[in-house]
Amino acid sequence: MAFFDESFSLLTPPEGRVEALAKVTGKGKYAAEYVAEHMCYAVLVDSAVAAGAIQNININKAAQVAGVIQIITHQQKQLVPGFSDESKIKDSRFGLPLFHTDKIYFKGQPIAAVVAETLEDAIYAASLIEATYTPDNFVVDFEEAHTKQSLAEAGKERGSINALNKAPYIVESEYTIAAEIHNPMEMHATIAEWTATDQLKLYDKTQGVNNVQRTVSKLFEIPEKNIEVISEFMGGGFGSGLRVWPHVLAAIMAAKQVKRPVKLMLSRPQMFYSVGYRPASWQKIKLGADKDGKFIGILHQAKNGSSVYESFSEGITRVTRLIYHFPNLKTESAVVPLNLSTPTWMRGPGDCTGDFAIESAIDDLSYQLNIDPVQLRLKNLALDKHPDSGLPWSTNFINECIEKGAAIINWQDRKPKPLQLTDGDWHKGYGMAVGMWNAGRNNASAGIEMQKDGTITLQTAMTDIGTGTGTGMQNIAHEVTGISKSKIKIELGNSNLPPAPSQGGSTGLSSVSGAVVAVCNALKLKLAAYAVTINNVYKNSTPNDILFSDKGISYKTPGNQPISYSQLWDKHQLTTIAVEASSGPGEERKQYAFCSSAAHFCRVRVHSKTGKVKIEKLVCVADGGKIVNEKAAANQMSGAAVGGIGMALMEEQLADAKLGSLVGNDLAGYHFAVNADAPIIDVAFINKPDPHINPTGAKGLGEVGIIGTAAAIANAIYNATGKRLKDLPITPDKVLGL
Amino acid sequence: MKQAHKHSRRSFIKISAVLTSLAAIPSSVKAFYQDVKKFFVVPKQTMPLAIIINKKTYKTTADTRTTLLDLLRENLQLTGTKKGCDHGQCGACTVHLNGERVLSCLTLAATVPGKEVTTIEGLAHNEQLHPMQQAFIECDGFQCGYCTPGQIMSAVACVNEGRTKSVSEIKEFMSGNLCRCGAYNGIVESIQKVAAS
Repeated sequence: MAFFDESFSLLTPPEGRVEALAKVTGKGKYAAEYVAEHMCYAVLVDSAVAAGAIQNININKAAQVAGVIQIITHQQKQLVPGFSDESKIKDSRFGLPLFHTDKIYFKGQPIAAVVAETLEDAIYAASLIEATYTPDNFVVDFEEAHTKQSLAEAGKERGSINALNKAPYIVESEYTIAAEIHNPMEMHATIAEWTATDQLKLYDKTQGVNNVQRTVSKLFEIPEKNIEVISEFMGGGFGSGLRVWPHVLAAIMAAKQVKRPVKLMLSRPQMFYSVGYRPASWQKIKLGADKDGKFIGILHQAKNGSSVYESFSEGITRVTRLIYHFPNLKTESAVVPLNLSTPTWMRGPGDCTGDFAIESAIDDLSYQLNIDPVQLRLKNLALDKHPDSGLPWSTNFINECIEKGAAIINWQDRKPKPLQLTDGDWHKGYGMAVGMWNAGRNNASAGIEMQKDGTITLQTAMTDIGTGTGTGMQNIAHEVTGISKSKIKIELGNSNLPPAPSQGGSTGLSSVSGAVVAVCNALKLKLAAYAVTINNVYKNSTPNDILFSDKGISYKTPGNQPISYSQLWDKHQLTTIAVEASSGPGEERKQYAFCSSAAHFCRVRVHSKTGKVKIEKLVCVADGGKIVNEKAAANQMSGAAVGGIGMALMEEQLADAKLGSLVGNDLAGYHFAVNADAPIIDVAFINKPDPHINPTGAKGLGEVGIIGTAAAIANAIYNATGKRLKDLPITPDKVLGL
Repeated sequence: MKQAHKHSRRSFIKISAVLTSLAAIPSSVKAFYQDVKKFFVVPKQTMPLAIIINKKTYKTTADTRTTLLDLLRENLQLTGTKKGCDHGQCGACTVHLNGERVLSCLTLAATVPGKEVTTIEGLAHNEQLHPMQQAFIECDGFQCGYCTPGQIMSAVACVNEGRTKSVSEIKEFMSGNLCRCGAYNGIVESIQKVAAS
């Protein structure tokens, strides 16, 4: 394990994340960076048509390239047991039966894998593979296709939507958001090594090693325990690592066929159609209020694109049922099949999309009503209970987020009408929006190994994708046990460690923190049981009675002399003490509803001649319960806001309706926010523990950082220019009305 | 994948078939066949290389198509330098060549002999982190850490280039290094810290 870099001893280590040294020295190993003996390289060959069937794949030229070991196609492969017949393919829920069909569903679908001695050999050989197809008609244009897709009810109607007809103030608008690509900086990669005929080792870029283990176990019909999945360092996920994608299977198949370890790293262009994306969406909102600004009701309709081989619903209308009190509400949705790869969850999935429309409409309404958008929101928040389930919120401080954010940005400087603040050719404006996310929690396990010198190693299979999970775990363990942080080591991201859920949906820390507390308590009891033989006071003790320090174990009564760890170890002839414990949600889920929330405020300047939008200030205030690690939490919030800037102003993946291909699918063609696109982002927290969510009171923050950002920016652009822009991204041409 | 050649598959098969049937006969024909094959499937060429990386000379043999980035990562296991796009669009592979920042994915390994390469692995000295590495830890200038080596190599160059007079100048001169986690707050703060010291 390289989470701590033992090779590098520093006299005064700087205070930072537990894995910081490994990251700043380049020593931390990401999936593609491990060395396996006799490893070879695989490169995928993509379909050149968007629909139809493969007629023939000519591999003759490629096979003649020196260094080529094997070429896998649907005609030349070992059968994957989980794909052995149609019903098994369906049961596998893998989506694309890679190399087990001649059918083509989208342009870029892998049709072959070339395995060669070197990366250069494999890339060159892959370029020589030629295929012929029986092409079929295809549709990739969401804008055109969605009009033909009819809506269906999404969730129960609340009250009667007919009540909207009597509303004196109504906003009725359509909104669209272009498809967005996760594009983590590390391209997805897998090293697959069969260590025996039924034993597999995978170094994989994933957000959940146990998920990979389960999926692969099903496909190859081998026991889960025979599959070791390692994802110790993960170069960003944002949702793209929550599924097992075809390329992972390609690496495993190739390794099986050539009987050698195989490394497969996607190219950046392949990243745009191989590991999911946020689908393009269309929304329509009808929002009504009375003259005082009390919401009467909302009709929210939404459609998102998907693939023709899998139906993925983003859940766009979920957030509509969450933040505000709408006495009358109706939500409808539809999925639009397209000849594109399957989309997936991307940071703030669904809510981020839906929230843009709702928060834009509310802003629109505020101008109609001539009520300050801050006041309009405060007036309508569902602060007492979850509007759908009716359960009281365990905690919900979204109002405090709004008030704090308004103070930080000096909201009083905002003008109630557009075009009131100018600076030469620039118009300036203020905007705000809120975001909310159902705060989830899953079952998770953690383990501790303790040594005689008082050091503990805290373990879980969960992968830290950059959120600071390891550091958070260390902080929690330090607080619960009293052992100093320098003596708490962390091991993460390996399926051999105690099982944990995938890191996604802002549930990572919330889930694992309970397990950490549980395992710390288990350790206390275990040591207390040994200590009884030395001092009877430990008999029948509970975890709260026991204190640890670097000196040893002590009982809570004042003046109690600690028993040193070495004394305990010697007396009982111990080597390593190992404990494991699990924790998960329970009865509290039936009594309370849980949410994380955030308020985003921004000040923009918009150039009246060029349409350029410059974000001068962006403030995010979040309620994530207790903040376990403030530096990392603030980093995550500001990073999510940077993602929101991209969503608002530049991120857009278009598909060519005639050719079926993506347009400009690389980092020169697809822009997300660079350093200069973002201001220094102000982050603040409410930092009040949620007493019921888990033993630490901490709630996830990954999603709420982005939910609402795009709307806050669009609303600020309106305040600056008077232009209500409803189609993301808001590129300069749209600002200028071209 | 792009089509590498203009010649059709059919013509290749025809020629291959004809030549294969002749392969049993004179060696001059065999040689001719090899020549024709080279026309369709370009043979790989390797060359010996001696490259100075982090003040150490590495003697190796590399494919002429190998980039400095792949040489570091695949041949020499210096995996601190990251591949984020392989197209010169993201900055994750930034290294120093004779003290200046370059993109190792756009640098062929064959062009590097005679120049000094510094990678993230060569930044710390005698168990002492480079001040920029120290600052990145203290200012939490990363999340997932994948773009970090490139950011740090660029940040060191940014300071050396004197492009640290304002936040906006730092941001401008660090905009060739993408960070999808959006850890720009900490990156800028790290650079300010080092520039001020």
